[in-house]
Amino acid sequence: MSSSRTLLALTASALALPGLAHKVKADAAPTVTTVGYRISAYREHDLDRANLLIGSAERFDIDIHQLSVLTPVGENHSLNVNASYESMSGASPWYTIARGDGSTGVVMSGATITEERRDISLTGRRYLDNGTLGLTLAASHENDYDSISAGMDAQRHYNNDLTTIATGFSVSSDDMDPTDATLFNRVTDASKLSRSVFMSVTQIIDAASLVQTGLSVTHLSGYLTDPYKFRDRRPESRTQWAWSTAYRRFFAGPEAALHADYRYFHDNFGIDSHTLELNWYQNVGDSLQIIPGVRYYSQSAADFFTTVSDFLSSGYNSADYRLSAYGALSTSLKIQWEIEAATLSLSAERYRSDAGMALDNGPESPALVDFRRLTLGIDYSF
Amino acid sequence: MHFFLRFALASCLLVWLSGCTPVQAWERGTLARPEMALEPDTMEQALNNHVYFSKEASSGGNSASGGGCGCN
Repeated sequence: MSSSRTLLALTASALALPGLAHKVKADAAPTVTTVGYRISAYREHDLDRANLLIGSAERFDIDIHQLSVLTPVGENHSLNVNASYESMSGASPWYTIARGDGSTGVVMSGATITEERRDISLTGRRYLDNGTLGLTLAASHENDYDSISAGMDAQRHYNNDLTTIATGFSVSSDDMDPTDATLFNRVTDASKLSRSVFMSVTQIIDAASLVQTGLSVTHLSGYLTDPYKFRDRRPESRTQWAWSTAYRRFFAGPEAALHADYRYFHDNFGIDSHTLELNWYQNVGDSLQIIPGVRYYSQSAADFFTTVSDFLSSGYNSADYRLSAYGALSTSLKIQWEIEAATLSLSAERYRSDAGMALDNGPESPALVDFRRLTLGIDYSF
Repeated sequence: MHFFLRFALASCLLVWLSGCTPVQAWERGTLARPEMALEPDTMEQALNNHVYFSKEASSGGNSASGGGCGCN
């Protein structure tokens, strides 16, 4: 792979999403400018028509464009700009009802929702002798949702550069102004605040392997209910803990690298989840890389999740499938081809979710989502 | 929760102590390969985080995460 790809990977300072202050691995300032572009097609499968009561079974189709520019500023600084544009259409689960045969039916939003989302983030990074400092500002805009965030991160090397400690925090302020609020008795104007901190330790184990482990804590306060779910009511405070570990090992024989990632998540909604991801970076010659991957995810249900929407309760309740107990299996394949200063990439993912794949038994949702995703990308350095 | 915290702190300590093999600077060529980065493709990682954040109840890890979207 080229030096530009190496620099891009090593700096890893791109903050493409609002509120994310990504982990960083090394402190090599970029010496060239790298421009990256990705176009992705995200397609959710239709809702199983046996579960549909009213509305459209066609769920979201989203087209996503991402642009990233990473450029050196002087000898010891860099600027990274990330922008993305999403256009989406489709229907979303609204509420659920118990049917006479004992099954649960889903009422979907009528016809189609059309929506656009734009976001931009800027990250300035200073490279020191034994670490880096980063500052990120980000904003996201939808016609009914705005988010602004700021974050800082720092890393420092110890132990003859064998050990790296990174830490950071971010704050995000979100405002929502749901459409058709009066018609559907939705909240007309609401906001929420997110505060997040993380700390990680990266350790070089030997000349071919390293491990990183870290902990993040995020506290959200304000309006955490989904205004587009009927009779949805959630607590106004949520604290999330995530412990993650990443292992990287290079195998000289097959010229390949193994990526193994695990995350344990817990929050005060009562949700516990486990995520295990394995990717194999297989080099083929000097310019081709083939990367198969598999990801398994399992979560328990939130304490207030109900399979059938509760129209009478004045307490917390939600039939949002994302708060149910389920497991998901994702398989992916990526091909990367380097042509001089450019790198072309094509990747595909298939995501399947099912309550039967969950590690925890719990109330099931009839509205679980399956999707597939295709991404075409190019990076160019000059 | 207390067990979880102890487990996470113990794992950090384990990682710290695991650096028992001295690796000199000139021996780190393999570690510097792009495919050995924790996140080789930051744009792909950003999109992955966004998709899973939108469709699952979990988020976070080795980064600080905040709000972002009203994704349904």
